[in-house]
Amino acid sequence: MVEQSFELPDLGEGIAEGELVAWAVAPGDHVEQDQVIAEVETDKALVEVPSPYDGTVTELHAEEGEMVPVDYVIATFEIDASDAEPAGTEAETDESSTPVDAGTVEAESAELETAEATEGGAEASEAGGAPGGRVFAAPSTRSLARDLDVDIETVEGTGAGGRVTESDVRRAAESASESGASEPASGADATPSEAEPVVVESAGGTKRERTLAMPATRRLARERGVDINDVPASEEREGEPFVTPADVEAYVESGGSAAETGASAERGASASAGAAAGGTGAGTNTGDAGAAASPGGERVPYRGIRRTIGEQMAQSKFTAPHVTHHDEFDASGLVDLRAELAEIADEEDVNLTYLPFVVKAVTSALKEVPYLNASLDEEAGEIVLHDEYNIGIAVATDDGLLVPVIKHADRKGLKELAREIDELATQARERSLPREAMRGGTFTITNIGVIGGEYSSPIINYPEAGIFAMGPIKKRPWVVDDEVVARKTMTISMSVDHRLVDGAEAAQFTNHVQTLLADPARLVLE
Amino acid sequence: MVMGDITTGTDVVVIGGGPGGYVAAIRAAQRGLATTLVEKDHYGGACLNHGCIPSKAFITAADVADEAANASGMGVYADPEVDMGELAAWKDDVVDRLTGGVEQLCEANGVDLIEGTAAFEDEHTVRIAHGGEGQGMETVEFEQAIVATGSRPVEIPGFDFADEPVWSSRDALAAETVPDDLVVVGAGYIGMELSTTFAKLGADVTVVEMLDDVLPAYEEDVSSVVRRRADDLGIDFTFGEGASGWEETSDGRIAVHTETEDGTESTYEADRVLVAVGREPVTDTLELEEIDLAPDDDGFLRTDDRARTDLDHVFAVGDVAGEPMLAHKASAEGIVAAEVAAGENAAFDARAIPAAVFTDPEIATVGLTEAEAEEAGFDPLVGEMPLRANGRALTMDETEGFVRIVAEADAGFVLGAQIVAPEASELIAEAALAVEMGARLDDLAGTIHTHPTLSETLLEAAENALGEAIHTLNE
Repeated sequence: MVEQSFELPDLGEGIAEGELVAWAVAPGDHVEQDQVIAEVETDKALVEVPSPYDGTVTELHAEEGEMVPVDYVIATFEIDASDAEPAGTEAETDESSTPVDAGTVEAESAELETAEATEGGAEASEAGGAPGGRVFAAPSTRSLARDLDVDIETVEGTGAGGRVTESDVRRAAESASESGASEPASGADATPSEAEPVVVESAGGTKRERTLAMPATRRLARERGVDINDVPASEEREGEPFVTPADVEAYVESGGSAAETGASAERGASASAGAAAGGTGAGTNTGDAGAAASPGGERVPYRGIRRTIGEQMAQSKFTAPHVTHHDEFDASGLVDLRAELAEIADEEDVNLTYLPFVVKAVTSALKEVPYLNASLDEEAGEIVLHDEYNIGIAVATDDGLLVPVIKHADRKGLKELAREIDELATQARERSLPREAMRGGTFTITNIGVIGGEYSSPIINYPEAGIFAMGPIKKRPWVVDDEVVARKTMTISMSVDHRLVDGAEAAQFTNHVQTLLADPARLVLE
Repeated sequence: MVMGDITTGTDVVVIGGGPGGYVAAIRAAQRGLATTLVEKDHYGGACLNHGCIPSKAFITAADVADEAANASGMGVYADPEVDMGELAAWKDDVVDRLTGGVEQLCEANGVDLIEGTAAFEDEHTVRIAHGGEGQGMETVEFEQAIVATGSRPVEIPGFDFADEPVWSSRDALAAETVPDDLVVVGAGYIGMELSTTFAKLGADVTVVEMLDDVLPAYEEDVSSVVRRRADDLGIDFTFGEGASGWEETSDGRIAVHTETEDGTESTYEADRVLVAVGREPVTDTLELEEIDLAPDDDGFLRTDDRARTDLDHVFAVGDVAGEPMLAHKASAEGIVAAEVAAGENAAFDARAIPAAVFTDPEIATVGLTEAEAEEAGFDPLVGEMPLRANGRALTMDETEGFVRIVAEADAGFVLGAQIVAPEASELIAEAALAVEMGARLDDLAGTIHTHPTLSETLLEAAENALGEAIHTLNE
């Protein structure tokens, strides 16, 4: 028996450390090579760390919950002396490659086998024996070998003079995948207790051993009772399947969770109890459900503005607990005043919409409720009450929503606001907004009335404290002196960051806005 | 619904718009990545603006004048006059068309262009200082970065490029007049190209080289052809001397001082001194310490075959990523970096990188020399074809030079080629393809080449290696 220490392998993307979330093994446990022994969470992903050895765990050197640097010895194994050599060699190879990638390990052993198999062939050793590892093959053939994960130096060349041809590479890839495919199967046979309780094929074919996903997505999958490795991935990152929250939800909706609940409970149990004996009760094949979860169709890359919006929104929604407040007020006065002023403004070529009135009212309300013109500096543990009133205006463009900012809105009159909004909106639609024009916002207004609908639950433009959505002004039933009459009213929706303010402040804010807009003459005094 | 500083986010930021950077940016954009290219100076980099392209413009013009003036053997008599101002304007026009083209291509592919100097702020942020006063700064957050900052001419003690009489290669290629007397420090490829050019344009050129021959990176029988032609052009060479400094003389010219290893000093009078002793990678503007990345001892950013630095999401391509400092190598690496960034399984696996020197005659090489092949463990098989046995060469009145093919003896796989000939820079492409494809001598010999052309020399050299050349004796 030989003792081997195992260092936390490279977690990728220049990550230096990770939190050891859970051990899947305990001292005394027997482990197979590639068996998952620990889960490590980085700020990018939850990574399953496979064992590089067949052997017995003798000691664990890190506690669950501990931050562990890469290359830190996390476990010690006792391995069979006869296995010591190849296992040791593999471990060394691993340092330069990506040991957490079980696929790589498999490919390496497959290559090893190919090399051994071909050493017998006289021609192959000639080709492989070219000095400096030189293999004679066309660039297109070398590229194919890369794509098929074939080490071209081990391929027997059948072309003229021993030149490696495309079909040589394909043949090598096939024989490698055959020997590779037999591996997990034999591993499962050898240790039934570690076999996956449910054999689920994801859309791509065999069940994945590893899946890239954000920690939040993994959490979601756990909550929904699905194994993230079963969820069909809609994206790929660094050549690995990447599962999004939407994928998880789609899989759950398609029925992926039902059969999985038992399995995931079982997984949880086996993880916490170390190498507990896993039952095989929930052995329902949900392969069809998995495949159905990912129907065909056009795949549009999630990139650019769309992704930036998405990431920004996810950050906001997952960081700031939103509370949304809705209200409605009689806007007859506002409609009349705007009609009156718009004529005058028109003479000066200014297009006076309702938005400048709302900006003025909102700015005034922000002065009333300073905690809504604020942001939370989590690092410093301080709420920053801004001394500027910079109002972002959400503008729909073909590519997504952009939010140009009106700086110092409190110092500007209706005409000036109207002009600036017009200009910024035009620039946003033409995608010619200077970067500066989208910075420094302290509060955002969005106009949902343009497209339709009554109310919305807008998402805060993080790290701002709130967002105000103006709904459409139209005739609605309104009670005046105990009579229901038709009045032009405006609906308003507003979300606030509940960490900074409570619902009462949101109501206080909207009340102030409504008071000013219902009696817009007051705005003139502002 | 709403969002914050959106335009400051990008998938890939490419730092440097030379042949490594702009190619990487376009390929990344073609692959659907949101790509931002930051350039501090001119699009196209040193290659288009201060290197390959302007030097070739000068060289071509100098050749036209020189050939016309020396064609009496063909019965052609001429005494061409070169208007250096007009030549420079034509060269600038060529450069402008190409750099403008680069900018348009980037824009047409949807690359976001930012002019300024980029420095890392952290592993996913660069700060860009715009050129010019009061232009301000901006910040770009990125998923992946491709560093393509290139290289600059090396200065030597006692010679400051800021001083007017001291030229870097960049200054020489911006010249609007030809100096009467030019001292060139360094007989490497840049020194030799520019020495030849300025000699043909009418300057009296003296080359000062510390080593004992021209083009020390090349085999003796290759460099000697160029050396002989340079002698014929009247270029003076002094070897074993290092330039130590210069001063202005009373008549407004300069005196360049040199020193041998044993301390013997010499002085050369001139109007300008061109220092061409090499190029060094540019990393000092990047603030690499902010991302814990350090250049190696030679100043390069080391990369793997995926063009990745020690940080998986930071790539380096071109001159900053190591020798050879060649534009086409930079572009090839740029392609790899962009495709890897897009998640593709690309790798830099070129067997050989061709190189060309635009001297008179030109030199071009690819792959292994005979000595290198032997060193690598091959049993080399070599074939040569002298230019004087090629019909087209004779009709061009160019009989100096040869084509040499190096193969391995077992199966005849082509390992490399060395060519000294007019248009060697073009001829090498076929040899490069042969090396890259794993072609054998039979393949080259079995390919029909056009007659009468210089390219026939490749066929002949392959046949010579096989011992069956028609137009030379197979000894």
